Amino acid sequence: MSLRVDVDANDLLRPRERPRERRRRRRRPGAIAFDVLVLVVGLLMAAPLVWLFAASATEPGEAFTLPPKWLPSPFSTENYSRVLELMPFGRMALNSLIVAVISVGGSLLVAVLAAYAFSRLSFTGRDKMLVVMLSALMVPAQLTIIPVFVLMRNLNLVDTLTSLWLPALINVFAIFFLRQYFNSIPRELDEAARIDGAGHLWILFRMLVPLSGPALSALAILGFQASWNNYFGPLIFISSPEKMTLPLGLVTLQSGQGGAPAAVVFAAIAMVVAPVLVLFLAFQRNFVASVATAGLRG
Amino acid sequence: MTAGVATPVALGTDSPPRRRARRREALAGWAFLSPALVLFLVFIAGPLAFAIFLSVHSWDLLTPREYVGLENFRRLFSDPLLPKALLNTFLFSLASVVTHVFGGLLLALAVNRPMNRFVSYFTRSAVFFPYLLSWAAVALLWKYVLDPTFGLVAYYLDKIGIDAPNWFVDPAWSLPAIIGIDFWYTIGFTFVIMLAGLQTVPSELVEAARTDGANRWQVFWHVTVPMMSPVLFFAVIITFIGAFQIFDPIQIITGGGPDDATMTIVMFLYQTGFQAFQIGYASAIAILVFVVIMAVTGLQFLVARKWVYER
Repeated sequence: MSLRVDVDANDLLRPRERPRERRRRRRRPGAIAFDVLVLVVGLLMAAPLVWLFAASATEPGEAFTLPPKWLPSPFSTENYSRVLELMPFGRMALNSLIVAVISVGGSLLVAVLAAYAFSRLSFTGRDKMLVVMLSALMVPAQLTIIPVFVLMRNLNLVDTLTSLWLPALINVFAIFFLRQYFNSIPRELDEAARIDGAGHLWILFRMLVPLSGPALSALAILGFQASWNNYFGPLIFISSPEKMTLPLGLVTLQSGQGGAPAAVVFAAIAMVVAPVLVLFLAFQRNFVASVATAGLRG
Repeated sequence: MTAGVATPVALGTDSPPRRRARRREALAGWAFLSPALVLFLVFIAGPLAFAIFLSVHSWDLLTPREYVGLENFRRLFSDPLLPKALLNTFLFSLASVVTHVFGGLLLALAVNRPMNRFVSYFTRSAVFFPYLLSWAAVALLWKYVLDPTFGLVAYYLDKIGIDAPNWFVDPAWSLPAIIGIDFWYTIGFTFVIMLAGLQTVPSELVEAARTDGANRWQVFWHVTVPMMSPVLFFAVIITFIGAFQIFDPIQIITGGGPDDATMTIVMFLYQTGFQAFQIGYASAIAILVFVVIMAVTGLQFLVARKWVYER
């Protein structure tokens, strides 16, 4: 089940423009009070993150003294260097990246091929096949995880990165989403190309794929985010630290063998959150647009 | 979910070259579909069938499987943990749906009007951003935010004269704490969906209602809400399906405790399958999860027929 929201999603984060004539007029005190209320909501939402960065950049002994720190004082990077001593952070970040890139790249390739078949080629059983695949969207991951675990165990793939990206290659939602997108591209275009002697692969990769930029980038952003943040999969499949991805590594740092001090865990969380924050600030519109247009996640 | 229309076959023109062309196209179709089809069979359809097969067996992954018929289901329905887990899961889902839909709509309405540009931008970003993080980071962060000795919440509640509970030790407060954390984490999604929904409400309709003398409240109830009902319905369904499978923060923060106060159905499944390795029994739980989600979603669709406005 999906919902396409046909609005200019790029505008969702942009403050609404005030009508010209009104801008000159004084705003009512009520409206200003309301703005303050909205600001308070924003501050409350941001507070845990501000505290996270402030406390993690404070000297270990001072990080959690009361009142809570809103700025690092005294400033220190010691918690951060302790993270690097206590967990293979770089290795785990690389693992997360490898899994996410292969999952996203692979699943989009598989989806683009399948969407082409569903949108442009006719053969018996095609539409029934699509309905069967779509009904899989209703199946929760917990139902398939046990058999998939048994399968990985039999293939000797438990505790490998392969066990994380291989099941992610099939993305039924992406297939459906791309098929809808391809259907909206006029067929006259491929017929013209066909007359010029183009084959299916040329039509797909030289014409349809370049024309599907917005759909592909929305799916890529959502897919990358889902993979990067996945905790359930690694928890089931991975046991050795050098194979872990960041989410599992974080939790293991906190709970494994005695557990690291709170300030160090805080620094590790900050190291995971910071790149996401930077990416968000840089590509805010793309993030919001992806969520609004393809807004569906397991 | 509309299936495409099959190409009509022209009668009488089924000459051999044409038939050959059609066979070539069918072959290409299956070839393009094959990677997806193989993966679908191996990682979705096969496992689904295998899960049903496992649910009527007793198996610990080591000793041979043993057929036990419906014994796993019989045991499940007399397991004292099941009603507890189901109740917690339903409570969580209900609270999640209500807080997300109302909160998301309220937040979207609050920023979807002429206002200070900085405030608007800052609040929109602050509400949306947590949704991009992982449960691992969010759950660990909030474990400290809610810490009774050095956490933010305890400190500021104390300042205004409220004695903060010891969230994850007190069974009465553990589930509400998880509900609150989940709200902070995922409200950004509902918020964006609602904001998008608000933009689909035609402004001519709002203006027409205003000229006819409707006040803001009447416009909201009689124009905005009906026009947005498909979006509201979508938010309810998506939030429910997600909430019913809540697992990560439970596993990370409470492990289902204290005193099973945060034991949810998927946590129950995880402990049975991946800690006790009762594979057959866990598969029976998984099938129950599937059936409940299907049933509740179906029910929501039935209810929705009455009040969702279709354009």
